[in-house]
Amino acid sequence: MKHHMIKVGFILSIISLSGCASLGVQPWQRDLLAEPEMSVSANAVDLALDDHIYFSKEGSSGGRSFGGGGCGCN
Amino acid sequence: MQTTTAEFKIQFHPDYASIQFSAMASPCDLLVDSQDPELIEKLALASVQETKRIENKFSRYLSNNLCHAINQSCGQPVEIDEECFRLLEFANTCFELSDGLFDLTSGVLRKIWRFDGSDNIATQAQVEQMLPFIGWQKIHYTENHICVPEHMELDFGGIGKEYAVSKVAELALKLAPSNSVLVNFGGDIQVSQAKAKGQPWQVGIENPDFDQQTTKLIAIRQGSLATSGDSRRYLLCDGIRYSHILNPKTGWPVQGAPRAVTVAANQCIQAGCLATLALLNGENAEAFLQAQNIQYWCLR
Amino acid sequence: MQLKQFKQINGALAAASCALVTGQVQAESSLLDDWQVDTAVMYYGETDRVKALEAVVNVNKDFGENHIFNGKLVYDALTGASANGAVAQPDAQTFTRPSGKAEYTIKGGDTPLDDTFRDTRVQINGQWTQPLGQNNTVTGGLHVSSEYDYLSMAINAGFARDFNKKNTNLALSLSYAFDSIEPEGGIPVAFSEMVYRSDYQSETDFWQSFNATRQSSGDDTKDTLDVIFGLTQIINRRWLVQLNLGMSQVEGYLTDPFKVVSVVDEQGYSVRQLYESRPDSRQKENLYIGSKYHFDHSILDLSYRFSSDDWGIDSHTLESRWRYNLSEFDYIAPHVRFYKQSSADFYRPFLNQQESVPMFASADYRIGQMSAYTVGLKYGRKLKNGHQASVRLEYYHQAPENSGYSAPGVLTELDLYPSLSAVILQFGYRF
Repeated sequence: MKHHMIKVGFILSIISLSGCASLGVQPWQRDLLAEPEMSVSANAVDLALDDHIYFSKEGSSGGRSFGGGGCGCN
Repeated sequence: MQTTTAEFKIQFHPDYASIQFSAMASPCDLLVDSQDPELIEKLALASVQETKRIENKFSRYLSNNLCHAINQSCGQPVEIDEECFRLLEFANTCFELSDGLFDLTSGVLRKIWRFDGSDNIATQAQVEQMLPFIGWQKIHYTENHICVPEHMELDFGGIGKEYAVSKVAELALKLAPSNSVLVNFGGDIQVSQAKAKGQPWQVGIENPDFDQQTTKLIAIRQGSLATSGDSRRYLLCDGIRYSHILNPKTGWPVQGAPRAVTVAANQCIQAGCLATLALLNGENAEAFLQAQNIQYWCLR
Repeated sequence: MQLKQFKQINGALAAASCALVTGQVQAESSLLDDWQVDTAVMYYGETDRVKALEAVVNVNKDFGENHIFNGKLVYDALTGASANGAVAQPDAQTFTRPSGKAEYTIKGGDTPLDDTFRDTRVQINGQWTQPLGQNNTVTGGLHVSSEYDYLSMAINAGFARDFNKKNTNLALSLSYAFDSIEPEGGIPVAFSEMVYRSDYQSETDFWQSFNATRQSSGDDTKDTLDVIFGLTQIINRRWLVQLNLGMSQVEGYLTDPFKVVSVVDEQGYSVRQLYESRPDSRQKENLYIGSKYHFDHSILDLSYRFSSDDWGIDSHTLESRWRYNLSEFDYIAPHVRFYKQSSADFYRPFLNQQESVPMFASADYRIGQMSAYTVGLKYGRKLKNGHQASVRLEYYHQAPENSGYSAPGVLTELDLYPSLSAVILQFGYRF
């Protein structure tokens, strides 16, 4: 039941977001967004190392990226 | 060796060729590090054509063009093309970035301000009459249409020449991908790309200071230079000198601005915009330029 | 003369000019030229338990027009002790090592730790990403991770599409991993009882009984299918948000072959150790919400993750990284993370002798109820040669919690949910 709630919430938020086509910037207003640190994949090495630690120490994994298999540490 | 047609003049020098023509009320020069007559002629034809095209489309002195149609639309939507839309978007960015100082609609103030060196300054009453017709935020446009309210006007004069320089430099890079071309329209300059060996172009630009009829020699490798300010256009009243730069918010000339500002940037349109904004900041012109982390020259 | 603070608008103006003249958005040309190599060495050390050293080389190469190759090589070495699942006892306890070849003894009052934890691992990843038409991006990659007793191979593929002037990005990514495990000493039979050498008269008798606790096949496998549906939305010039819905289906051998569950009597004394048993499938669902905000001198990265699986583990993770530029050349980045999870339905800190053995049980504290936090600080600096160096120090604290099991007899006196602290030190170098 709970899982369905997540899905419904997710789909609703997508609809509300894509309904707002006014959100966003013009191509030349991307000066700040173009900085490497603003990329969602910034600090990839740190994030991957952290993911590995938490994957081997906690019951949940993934979310930001794939959380499946990968090593025998869990 | 020299070729002259009705539209342009080509001259070959020992290590470069020059193309000269006249457009946008300025002398237009292209310098090319090539002796290939075919290439030079191709560049000349294309540059003249592109420059005239832009002038014919956006000049406010013509009565059968897009600019005229927009300014005579009396609030009715006018169809625009992609290029016009891009210019509007650029003007919009400049307006936002400058907190409203850069305003394409401020041209209507010329009806009350004539900078002829006289003491003929406008009255506050005249200014207040014009202010309702200024304000970029009142202009509405989409990718296909623009609506300009009655009595308001767009004036592309502030960016048209620099835009043409950038476009011609871009065109030159396409037509002569292995040569360096310097485009100089009355002191607004852009180099298509650096020379293969990296030596700079030497160009003389007219010193904007009217009192010294000198030419300043500058070296430029790549990028562009643009100058704003004209010491011949001013008003003098009660010992106060009024520059021809008008603040769209007050309707009055900006006080304390340098006589001329020259800015170096990648694109001529960018340099021109920065130079104009510097003048609009009056006595803070240098502080504004300092914050931009660019090379500049101010003449006071 | 008034002193006015002017903002830097030249960058935005340059981009606008480029868009005007070429009709295209300016590319980040400086990034496109060369290989970009990130290297890092990380030390991870728990008090009295596991210590790990991990080295990473990550390369990115742009072959032009956004055809990007990413390759990664990871090496890690692990030593130390890890909890074997058994409960602490007032008296010393002896356990047979997973290999069957030896024993180890734990002092009274201590949490039983198996100190034979020793492994090295090598991981290689390759990923190719490129545009497909105007607004689409496709990506595909391979992953191999190899240990002495464990091998994982995975392939992934993704498709993303930009909408709304590239302000909205929708992505669908899939990953399929195939893992195989071949633990030293074989795979224990679920709920079989640990045997002790001292109970047998001869080595042969012992091995006969030990082998009876092992499955006939010494290896097993696990398949994982991950699906992530992602949305990235640019809100304005400074702000972007990311929303991921992830689903993961794991099938196969999910039990930890090195872990046991203690069976205790009414006084709380441990009477035997049973090798744990977990279900052979697990389905997880994740909701991840991330946000990045650019305040001129700093960037705030906030994220929240809700994760839920059919083992009964629900977790909440709240994380923040704040990168603050001290100058043009250096920055500090404080990091905090809070984590909370509920226990798996079959998690049992111990089993009571009088109850019948359940279908599944594991005393692995990592699937029990717990909370954890991390605090850290990173300092990074751009060097004169254009390279970047960084150092990161973090403190991680885990506090396992009792999810409602009352401890009988002597167990009330003992710490059944010992907390764990670790220090992480990392050096990074980018060139």
